[in-house]
Amino acid sequence: MRQFQTTVTERKLNFQGEFTTHPYEAGWASEAISFIRVEDVSGEAARLEAFVQISVDGVRWVDEGTVFQKISEKGDYFVRVSHFGGYLRLRGAATGDDANFKLTIWWVLKE
Amino acid sequence: MSKQFIAYDYGLSKYNPLETILCYDDFDRGACGWTDLTPNFTLENFDARPSIIDKAKWGPPMLSTATYSYVGTHGSMDGLYSLKLATKPVAAKYTEVPLPGSMGHAIKRISRHKSFSKLQFEMWYAYTPEQDRNGLSEQSIRAFGAFFDYQDPNSRSHIGVRYLNSVDGELKQRWQCFQMADGVTDKDWGYGSDIEWARAGVDAMWYGRRYPDGRTDGFTDIAGGEQQLCYNEADDKINWLYLRFLVDVEKREYIEMQSGDKIIPMRGYAPTKCERYARIDGLLNPSVWIETDTDRSVFLYVDSVVVSVE
Repeated sequence: MRQFQTTVTERKLNFQGEFTTHPYEAGWASEAISFIRVEDVSGEAARLEAFVQISVDGVRWVDEGTVFQKISEKGDYFVRVSHFGGYLRLRGAATGDDANFKLTIWWVLKE
Repeated sequence: MSKQFIAYDYGLSKYNPLETILCYDDFDRGACGWTDLTPNFTLENFDARPSIIDKAKWGPPMLSTATYSYVGTHGSMDGLYSLKLATKPVAAKYTEVPLPGSMGHAIKRISRHKSFSKLQFEMWYAYTPEQDRNGLSEQSIRAFGAFFDYQDPNSRSHIGVRYLNSVDGELKQRWQCFQMADGVTDKDWGYGSDIEWARAGVDAMWYGRRYPDGRTDGFTDIAGGEQQLCYNEADDKINWLYLRFLVDVEKREYIEMQSGDKIIPMRGYAPTKCERYARIDGLLNPSVWIETDTDRSVFLYVDSVVVSVE
């Protein structure tokens, strides 16, 4: 049986401007899916961008290259990642006048 | 300890379990049922009941290799993976209401399967702050501990101990047990909030007023509990430590605890008996947690846990 873990790193949290998600260790996993659920969105021309980041130590981060499509509506969105080493997180930005995104963010990991 | 178990797994030889081992969780085998501690998402939109404590934002546990920039990977005590609890980099002053994310928790949800009079928790663990700045930062860790959320047909109790390491940057380094102070009301327990619904004695990890000397409404200092733990000379070097506490559940009284090679008698200390909650008779949930003292993540690594009864 393969190891499997779904973890909620951000739960119904409001985001404005730039942000990063809670660092997550996943050295045991060979594949990951990042899910973003937009629970609510408000603001004028509100847009959400999100990028996968990796790290050697969980402190200093670099973009991995995987990018979410631009998000502007409620719904569930995902990207797939593999060959990511030990640590994962997202960096993101909510743009637009008074933009607020209420998000739940998961890592779905498999050995 | 029953010798047959040593034959099954050498990892148990560093433990001292009672007659029946309910679980031996080595996190090299995965999360073993330990999961994030969350509120009840039972309201509209799967929201939780409003509370002065936001219990939906604790840092989630993860399987860790304990890897650092200039050290590389520690691995765990007898393998590669431990269960890591990581707070978010936020903390209020000690005497204030804990901020969302200022703690990390992990819980395993099991229930009573036989009659027993003694209950014991053991773990091998390590702790350190995230190495996100120079220097030695032992004082960044406020507290960590382990407990059972326990209920029988008469009452519910949180039963366990915590190591109070630091209060607003000042090292305290002593063991305390879950035992509520006399005269504490439900409103006191919820920091005087009018919206809070918590019952006094339940969830002392975050409820109960906190005082500048390190006392709280929910934790009592254990006589002889002062102890400087083995904390290495840099935040990226971890040492595995042993913790055990033993409880007389018939009398609902602590018997003793052990930290490293130090055994501390605890007869006379008693976990607070609270009114039982509906539907959860037989609840026997072991749990661990850590709390940060400042604006940085702190980590509790758990190599393995043994829960036993007799």
